This record gives sequence, structure tokens and C-alpha cells, in this order.
Amino acid sequence: MRRIFAQVRKELTQIARDRLALVLALALPLGLMLLLGNSIALTVTGVPIVVQDLDDSPASRNFIDAFRESVTFLVIPWTTALPPERAFESTKARAALIVPQHYGRDMARGLTTPVQLLVDASDANTAKLVQGYAGEIAANYQPAAAPVKAEIRLWFNPGRESKKFYGPGIFVLGISMFPPLLAALAMSKEGEQKTILQVYVSSISATEFLLGKIFAFLLIALAEWCLSMILLVTYFGLHLAGDPTPLLAATVLYAFCVASFGTLLGAAIPNQAASIQAVALGGFLLVFLLSGLIFPVSNIPPQLRWISGLVWGRYYIEIVRDALLQGGGWPAMWFNVVMIAVIGAVFYLLAWKKMRRMQLSV
Amino acid sequence: MNRRLLSLIRKEFNQIRRDRRLALSLIVPPTLQLLLFGFALNATVDNLRMGVVDLSQTPQSRDLIAAMTQSGAFRLGGRYSSAQEEGNAIARGDLDAGIVIPNRFADDLARGRQVSVQILLNAMNANTAAIAQGYSEGVLQNWNQGLPRGGVNASFAASDLAPVARTGRVLMHPAFLFNPGLVTSWFIVTGTFGVLLMLNGSLISSAAMIKEREAGTVEQLLMTPAGTGEIVTAKIAPLVVLLCVTIAVATAMIRIVFHVPFRGSFALVLLGALLCVLSGIGIGTFIATFTKSAQQAQLMSFFVNPPLASLSGALTPVEAMPHWMQPFTVVNPIMHFGVITRVVLLKGGGIDAVWRNLAALAVFTAVLLSLSVMRFRKQLG
Repeated sequence: MRRIFAQVRKELTQIARDRLALVLALALPLGLMLLLGNSIALTVTGVPIVVQDLDDSPASRNFIDAFRESVTFLVIPWTTALPPERAFESTKARAALIVPQHYGRDMARGLTTPVQLLVDASDANTAKLVQGYAGEIAANYQPAAAPVKAEIRLWFNPGRESKKFYGPGIFVLGISMFPPLLAALAMSKEGEQKTILQVYVSSISATEFLLGKIFAFLLIALAEWCLSMILLVTYFGLHLAGDPTPLLAATVLYAFCVASFGTLLGAAIPNQAASIQAVALGGFLLVFLLSGLIFPVSNIPPQLRWISGLVWGRYYIEIVRDALLQGGGWPAMWFNVVMIAVIGAVFYLLAWKKMRRMQLSV
Repeated sequence: MNRRLLSLIRKEFNQIRRDRRLALSLIVPPTLQLLLFGFALNATVDNLRMGVVDLSQTPQSRDLIAAMTQSGAFRLGGRYSSAQEEGNAIARGDLDAGIVIPNRFADDLARGRQVSVQILLNAMNANTAAIAQGYSEGVLQNWNQGLPRGGVNASFAASDLAPVARTGRVLMHPAFLFNPGLVTSWFIVTGTFGVLLMLNGSLISSAAMIKEREAGTVEQLLMTPAGTGEIVTAKIAPLVVLLCVTIAVATAMIRIVFHVPFRGSFALVLLGALLCVLSGIGIGTFIATFTKSAQQAQLMSFFVNPPLASLSGALTPVEAMPHWMQPFTVVNPIMHFGVITRVVLLKGGGIDAVWRNLAALAVFTAVLLSLSVMRFRKQLG
């Protein structure tokens, strides 16, 4: 036990003296969260829209004013002489509203009057949003006309703030990337500089050495977690939505999981440059793409979706989002906690095996 | 072109020819990344699980539920006896949405009174919520439209002429241009193209520059009569040729696997891709002049790549970023190349639509490369 603590202390001292490592461990995750948490969003506002009013009556102008008043659209000037597609080509507008001739007359007669909405669908998601927004504006323009009205309640994130959804995701991305990066660097450095031989001749056992390394980086992951959590609570405006115990249990397990992952990579690849690439692939690409960070996992085609069942970050992202937004607690999240523990245990066992083999091969 | 430069270029080509791994790393990872990004990143909102609380239990309410749950956007996720139970299911994550139909639903419709149905949406994911909200409003609007005509409730026709509703109804007819099937991968793939060229270009060029330094042969190069500009040009030339292979493979994938239409002039996209690769190489060589080892250069890329990729509009639209952030995308080559691919390939725009972006890419290339040439010699002193 004492030897494990000595190993932990040695690792932490080494990190504390390496300025680049400290920046990587503590400052970069915060910077990444601010940058990505802000810039990743899909819900556009201020969509530039071209309006062509072929009727030019008080009624049509009144209808167009409903679009002018909304925050989602930004009406830009465009002459009726030019086709609106031209505005899409030069990316000046994303949509065009065309009010037909006789609009005012038909409305006064009580007819159902069609209005054309052209949407630039080169970005399919934005196109759907624009369609929905325009439909809502049209529906709210004359609420009395509909027999059945929808009363929509938005739960857990009533302001539909992208930040609150992507913030926790990037938070997990940072924890999945930087502590394993440092762990892998520290471990592969031992292999590269042959200091691992000194470990072999000392009285510390493979298990103690490994646990010492993992606990040191577990502590770093937890420190990063605390700092990032402060940012989530203050800047991202999130707070605990329910029972915090699943989150706390999962956090300790997840810190163990990522520290073991980094140590495993470092033990397997005794070359610092190559192990950085391996962490970038495993910690960044997998967690970024296959964990539901930006887009739902259910949209991944089934041939690839099974991989995301093995991505540790996916389970933790769900737990963090549940704890901070949804508040489902243990009944909703117990499986995710178990999966993180299982994946962490697998990483630890693999790292232990790799250690044994390293020892034999020297 | 002088003889000195030619022989330097030949030297670099020979060096790279023997490095089989480098050539392979320019083809395999970009291909995999393009496939993975194109298939895994998909914003489509469909088949959301919708719970149903039907307190009315009438043919009318069942008709509305059928219209909602068979719309493709929603599917039936379960029936619940109270709104409370349904709410718990949403909190547990068993449902994505819920609908509550009040018990007076059919009566109020028959009397011509306006009825509200409650729709609960899990808005954690803002995008899904916004689209689901649009869908449910649309379904309801259509259902309302069919109401008097379809004879579900004949008496509503009379109330339609009530003084408040005397004016006609606006009916929005949306039409989707350039991508009527709303294929989401077209947006992602055309954006990822630039990210790939940029990241691979910078990674490979910084590796190539540093290799010479790590091996200690850079002094030998500087002792030759060749100038710094010539050395850097010679280093870059084979990389550009290699990255052209990446461009070819990526465009083939975009065309064959993702069926992106090539509506505009392909030459424009190629020109843009070439400039994008060059500015990627510029960033790579620039990073290389700051670092001493391959490991340091790779750590540096952790600082440079995330902002480059995330402030580019490659995966998410620039318009969705906060307004104070949007101006920063102007100095990002990936953003300009993304505009070029989307405008030319998807919308069929010509040079008049993208010349600004091409000019911007050319400026980045010139600035970054001349900066690297300037720093290359200084940093050895």
C-alpha cells in the first residue's frame, strides 16, 4: 500500500514539474469546453430570408411583418426581378418566402391561401428547422383559425439552449482525452527512456506500479472534473436535476476507466509520438463520433452502431446529461454505471497483462 | 525553374518513395474518416418514441393519435393512464415525447370550441426538440385542415365561419431546393472534405519538416547553395502530389458512396481543394518551426486542430454559432473551402459565387508559407 502511494506521489510530482503537461491537464479542457460548447450548435437563429411580395397589399405586408418580428428570421432585401435561387447560390439567404398575387383578396374572401416557402436544403437539418419555424409563425399568425391547438411543453431545457446539451458532452470529451493522453505519455516515456528497467529492479510489484500510475491519473481526471464542473455550473448554467449519487459513482469509475485506458496504450506502445496518435484516435475520434455527443446514437447505421456500445464515453455522457438535465437517477442510469465499470475493468486487466509481457520481454 | 530546385525536389521524392507508411497514411485514414463522419454524424429526427395519454377515448382522439404516431417523426412508445405516469417515463428516458388529449376533446370539437392538446417534448437536445416541435405543429395543422372536409366532425364547418375566423387561412407550401430528399450526409461530407485535407496536410508536412531536424540533416541542407525558399518548396512539392491522391480518393468517395451531385464546375472544387491543401501544409510547416520533436508537434496540434475544425462550419452550420463567434470563421481556410464545395457541388454556383473564398484561400496559403520560410532559417540560428 505504501509503495502504491509513493508511486502516486512520484507521478504527480513529475506532472507538476512539466508545464506543458499541466496546461494539457487543466487549462486546455476548459478552453476546449468554452470553444466547442459555444460553437457546436445546430439550431440556427437569424436565418437570412428573402421575401418576394407579389401582392403588395396591407394583408400581405401584415403577414410578412410576422416574419420580420421573429428572432429566427432576418429579412434581407432582394428585388423581385432576380430569382431567389440566386440568393441561395451566393449564400446570402437560406430561405425565400413568396406571397402570391391576390393574397389579400383571397384572404378577405375566407379562402385557404397558399404561400410558397423555398428552402435551401444543401444543409438538410437547417432546412427542416427553417420549415418548422416558418410553419410555427404561420400557425401563430392566426391562432383562432385552428380547431385543435398544440400546447407544447419543452422539458428539461425549456429555452432549447444548445449549450446545455453540448456542454456536458464536451465536458466528457475533455475527460476522455486529456488524462489518458498524460497517462499514455508518462507510461510510454518509461518504455522509451528505459526507466522501466529501474522499476523492475525495485521492490515494487507490477500490480502496485500499475495501480500507482492509474491512481495518479485518476486524481488528475478528478481535478479536471472539478474545474470543468465549475464551468458547467457557472457559464453553462446547469445544475443538478436529481439524485447526484449515480453521477458521483460513475465519475470515480470513469476516471479509473480513462486512466487505465491511457496506461494501457502507454504500456502497449513504447513510443510517445505513436501513443499520442492512439489516444487521439481512441479518446477523441471514438468519443466525438460514436457517443451521441452531437447527433443521436440511434441515427448511426446499425452496422456501425454496435461499436458505440463499446465506447465508454457514450455511457458517461448519458449519465452527465441525466444528472444535470433530466434527473432520471438510478432507475434510468444503473446500466450505464455498470458498463463503465466493466469497460474500466477490461482496460485494467489488459494493461496488467501488457505490463507482465513487458517485464518478460526486457 | 532552376536545376537546383529540381534536384532538391527529386531528393524529396526519393525519400518519400521509400517511406511506404507515409503514402499509406494519406489514403487509409482519410477514407475511413470520411466514411465514419458521413455515416455516423446524422442529424435526422425520426421515430421519436411518443407516449400517449388519451383521456377522451373517442374516434376523433384516436384519429389524431394515429396521425401523430404514423407521421414518421413519431412512433407509438406506449399508452399511459395519466400525464404523471407519462412524465415519469420521459424523465427515465423511455420516451422522447408525449401527447395528452383532454377528456372534453370530442365534445369541444363538436361544439366548435377550440381545444388544446398538450404535447411534451424532451428538449435536452435543442435540435431534436426544435424539429419535433415543427413536426407536431405540422401534423396538427394538416389534421385540422382535413377536419371539416373529411367529415370527422361535420359541425365544425359552421364554426369555421365564426366572425373571428372569417378571414382565410394561410397554407405554407415548403419546397426544398438542391436537396429535395433532405439527405443529411451531403452537408457533413462536403464539410468533412475540407477538415480532412487540412488536418492531413498539416500533420504530414509538420512531420516531414521535423524529420529532417530530428535526424540532424537540416544543417547539411542549409550548407548547400540552395536558399531557404527552395528547400521549403522542394519539401512541399511531393507532399502536394501525395495529397492530390487524397483529394482524388475523397472526391471519388463523395461521388460514389454518398451520391453527392456534382452540379457545378468540378475544376473550381479542385482548385479550392488544392489551395486548401496548400494552406494546410502552410499551417503544418509553421507549427514545425516552433517545435523540436515530433511529439511536441503532435501536442501542438491539440491546441490548433480543435478550434480549426470547430470554427469552420464543417459539421454544424456557422449561423448556429453565437453571433460574436461567427466573424472568427473568416480566418479559417476550412470554412472557405466548405462554402466552395457546397455552393459548387450542391447548388451549381459558378466562379462569381465563390471567387471571394478562393481569393481568401490563396491569401492564407501565401501568408502561411512565406511566414514558414522566414522562420525556417531564423529558428536554427
